Amino acid sequence: MNLRDKLNAISKPKITVTPVEAPPVKQYTDCWHGRAHYPMRDFPFALDVRRETVMLMQGEEMPDGFDPMRILYLDTETTGLGGGAGTVAFEVGLGWLEEDGFHVHQLLMRDYPEEKFLLEEIVRTADRFDVICTFNGKTFDLPLLRNRFIMNRIRTACLDKPHIDLLHIARRVWKLRLRRCNLTNLEEALLGVPRVDDLPGALVPERFFSYLKTGDFRLFDDVLEHNAQDIASLCTLLAHMCRMYEHPEQLRFDEDVYSMGVALDRFRHTEEARRCYRLAGGEMHAQGQERLAASYRRCGEKEEAAQVWLGMIARREGGVTPYVEMAKYYEHQRKDIPAALEMVRRAIALVSEPSLFDETSVQEARNALQYRYDRLRRKQGRSKE
Amino acid sequence: MNVDQLTQQLQSDPLFMKNVVRWDTTPPREAHYADFPEGLDARLQPVLARRGVHRLYTHQAHAVREVLAGQDIVVVTPTASGKTMCYNLPVLSAILKNDDARALYLFPTKALSADQVSELYELIEEMGVDIKTYTYDGDTPGAARKAVRQAGHIVVTNPDMLHSGILPHHTKWVKLFENLRYIVIDEIHTYRGVFGSNLANVLRRLLRLCEFYGSKPQFILCSATIANPKELAETLTGRPVHMVDDNGAPMGARHFVFYNPPVVNRQLGIRRGVIPETRNITAMLLKNGIQTITFARSRLTVEVLTKYLKDIVRDPLGNAGRVRGYRGGYLPTERREIEKGLRAGHIDAVVSTNALELGIDIGALDACVLCGYPGTIASAWQQAGRAGRRKGTSIVFFVASSAAIDQYIVSHPDYLLKKSPENALLNPDNLYILLSHFKCAAFELPFEDGDGFGNAPGAPELLEYLDEAGIVRHVDGRYHWSAEDFPASQISLRSAAAEENFLIVDITNPQKHRVIGEMDRFTVPMLLHENAIYMHEAQQYQVEKLDFDACKAFIRQVDAGYYTDSDLNISLSLLDIEREEDSARGVHRALGELRVSCLVTMFKKIKFDTHENLGFGHVRLPETDMHTEGMWWTLPDEVAAKYDSDTLKNGMMGVANLLRIVAPLSLMCAPQDVAVVYQVKSPITDKPTIFLYDNLPGGVGLSHKAYGMQQLLLEQALQIVSDCECPFGCPSCAGPMGEIGMTGKRTAWELLTALTGG
Repeated sequence: MNLRDKLNAISKPKITVTPVEAPPVKQYTDCWHGRAHYPMRDFPFALDVRRETVMLMQGEEMPDGFDPMRILYLDTETTGLGGGAGTVAFEVGLGWLEEDGFHVHQLLMRDYPEEKFLLEEIVRTADRFDVICTFNGKTFDLPLLRNRFIMNRIRTACLDKPHIDLLHIARRVWKLRLRRCNLTNLEEALLGVPRVDDLPGALVPERFFSYLKTGDFRLFDDVLEHNAQDIASLCTLLAHMCRMYEHPEQLRFDEDVYSMGVALDRFRHTEEARRCYRLAGGEMHAQGQERLAASYRRCGEKEEAAQVWLGMIARREGGVTPYVEMAKYYEHQRKDIPAALEMVRRAIALVSEPSLFDETSVQEARNALQYRYDRLRRKQGRSKE
Repeated sequence: MNVDQLTQQLQSDPLFMKNVVRWDTTPPREAHYADFPEGLDARLQPVLARRGVHRLYTHQAHAVREVLAGQDIVVVTPTASGKTMCYNLPVLSAILKNDDARALYLFPTKALSADQVSELYELIEEMGVDIKTYTYDGDTPGAARKAVRQAGHIVVTNPDMLHSGILPHHTKWVKLFENLRYIVIDEIHTYRGVFGSNLANVLRRLLRLCEFYGSKPQFILCSATIANPKELAETLTGRPVHMVDDNGAPMGARHFVFYNPPVVNRQLGIRRGVIPETRNITAMLLKNGIQTITFARSRLTVEVLTKYLKDIVRDPLGNAGRVRGYRGGYLPTERREIEKGLRAGHIDAVVSTNALELGIDIGALDACVLCGYPGTIASAWQQAGRAGRRKGTSIVFFVASSAAIDQYIVSHPDYLLKKSPENALLNPDNLYILLSHFKCAAFELPFEDGDGFGNAPGAPELLEYLDEAGIVRHVDGRYHWSAEDFPASQISLRSAAAEENFLIVDITNPQKHRVIGEMDRFTVPMLLHENAIYMHEAQQYQVEKLDFDACKAFIRQVDAGYYTDSDLNISLSLLDIEREEDSARGVHRALGELRVSCLVTMFKKIKFDTHENLGFGHVRLPETDMHTEGMWWTLPDEVAAKYDSDTLKNGMMGVANLLRIVAPLSLMCAPQDVAVVYQVKSPITDKPTIFLYDNLPGGVGLSHKAYGMQQLLLEQALQIVSDCECPFGCPSCAGPMGEIGMTGKRTAWELLTALTGG
């Protein structure tokens, strides 16, 4: 057997080779460019995006001369979803705001030799902007493009700018309610606009490979449309999220307000976080209050924390936690051991009620309380001597 | 009692000495030193001096000198000879001189890399310099990975991680690839067969990327003693490699005792069992306070021995922690704890499979007991090397089992003592393996017209093939990866198939199911079929359910008083004939590609202590398939016609048994790497046929070698059967009479005479 026969013998399923005519030697001079323009009225609050609000949403520093028209919105379509050096971004959509509306510039390579033109165009465009905004670009689009620059020996820092990744922001605020925070879900839930006839992302790579085989550009029609929509959505969503951060009282769902509080807390925006915790009502009320008290305690505002814990006890919220916290408060702040003991006693009474909860965790809670109780009793005994 | 006192006591004990076939003593070896070579960074020598190293051993100085002169080297020295210094010195020196310099360390297992890094850390800490050494493997937390990629001067990893975690993502490792000065590969003798063939291709990919990034790394390789370290190093790296083997490390005296258990049934040639004999010797060492490692060939034997020994040392509370088992399948934390216990001396005896044969740091022990021949000379020395300190006497016992190869070794001790260890064979151009890695290479970096792939043959054909298959796209002089797949995920370096391991779940406590170990897919049908008794740290479990799809085995603690042993059924089918010819005497022989299907159909229950057979059970599991190379001999009709089918069958079984003894010896490979199977009426040739094949997917060239030396193989088999003095066959020649019957030996002799044309 020669090498060719052996290759055929060991590969399964056997590949049927259809003879392809040698393609004419082509000169590659540029990638494909597509442009679109959307009127300003489609992006009502987009020009109101403020630096301070963006910095509430994530930990990253934003430039001093922050300007919504100097944000580059970016989204890629790739030949694979797994990453690695062999995965290529065959289409890149770039978008930005101007006085007259939203501009989208799409770059597409029709074959591998066009990739370097596509990349060079990205460098040229990105250099005009201060901030990049993506959906999951931190882990996907930007590392992938950086790979491509290295593979094409293009040395550039054009992507190393302050970055707003809407996926991470959205996850922090909407995951509790929506569970899955993909772009389609968010558009529907936040903007109330469902996508119709959209191309599932998993089918995108196949379009590129089919195009290489057939040369039929129509295969890209819905890829390009899908990508343009994604780019425009990035701009709309950012504006929308900023408004929500500025007006948490307008949020309809308690889960969202509460989650926003947690997100704000994470980046130490304490006052803004407390505002959200106070707003969280309904089923989220107890958790909001607990977070609020924890926030006070962390900042040394012990009296305020105690007021919140007492309020929770009065509403029978939060299980044994407020009792334990009050016990600590009486013991350490007020040096009032009998009051602390009373709190622990009430907590023990609470966990001794028959419960549907997992036996072992209840048992553990009971043991911890008993231990605290005994310790307080000993302390009381000592101070009497 | 120390080893010297024990030696005297044993040598004056006639009952023990009766079974000792040979008592070999190696006198202590003096150290040979050399001065520090010129050219190392000046900060190194004072630090070494503070650690008590004032001069280097000859081999260390030699290695450092060659590396500094720009040579790729392979260092070949026995265990505990300070070989890590051979690579740590030039690597540290290069980084001290240039902070951008990078080095990559490859160890075959995670455990080994953990060990070596701790040693490196100590040196770096002592120098008080900022050289960052990081381990990058499956256990590295995601958050730490970025730091490793950016800042690690020395990246310690294993071939699997290099293959699937680093090379396909090379753009994230620009700093490493642009500045890579040294590639250190330790324990290269483990890279033989499939694993070695895979690594050679991983290195082809690595060097290709280094070229892209403009670095020209040097190789520093280390090997235990094997027959062909230089050849192995050159095949792995595809480059000429300079060999350093002038070992200058000192060594205490060593006794090597060949012990053959007494014959209990002369007619059947049956000897006392190797397990009880090993137990007695280990127990004797244990009682005398001599720290001992016992090596057994199978996981099962390890468990059986551990159970026996634990029973001996158990205290009134039932604790027997002084004796521990150790083998693949234990969880990493448990293994680390055992290794630590050995170093600290809390553990007096450990029973292990070859898992502890590699350079895992367990300190040097006083005594080693080999329960049966580990299969290769190289392994035997690796295992024996676990006993032996730089000062002080050590002792090694080889306890022979009744297996033919053990009996051969024990009756020819010089084979082990004098002969060079085996060749490590690998075949980087095994088409399966080459093609898989070629795809990975195309994914990692487009091939350009005229590009080769290391020294692999046929790169243009492979590219054309992948182009036609639509996996790469040829345009404008380059071949671009043009598929959605991530090809590295489809290859496992250690087996031919990328299969995931099975988890072993203890369900004894219904509240708390607990994973106690894992096992590879090919071993599962043998040891974890339903109703199998599985042993872990000497506790018996019964397999309640084997979920083949979910890759899980559910087991429950039992106290059964027996263990199980499964039967493997093998069938062969022909894929392609590469060469064939007929001898003058009408013997047809051929070389070609075979599909080997393995199926476990039943198991036996065997009682502890007496080893009686208590019955059997059925196993219903899917077949596992392997595609490999083989050669075969077909008997001429007139020879076959002389016998009735039973006689012929017994004779062929005898020939197969003999070939199993001589093949590994002549081909210089491990017995498990080559398989011999006979078929009285073969579906392939339709005639009585004896097959010999590479027991490794894709093959590593053993059958090719056997085809070329087939006459010699047959003549050696004939000589063994002619020379053996047993009347009707024994385990050392054609097989025990119980297996091959009264006529087996005679018929085997006749068949071999016909085959050799004598």
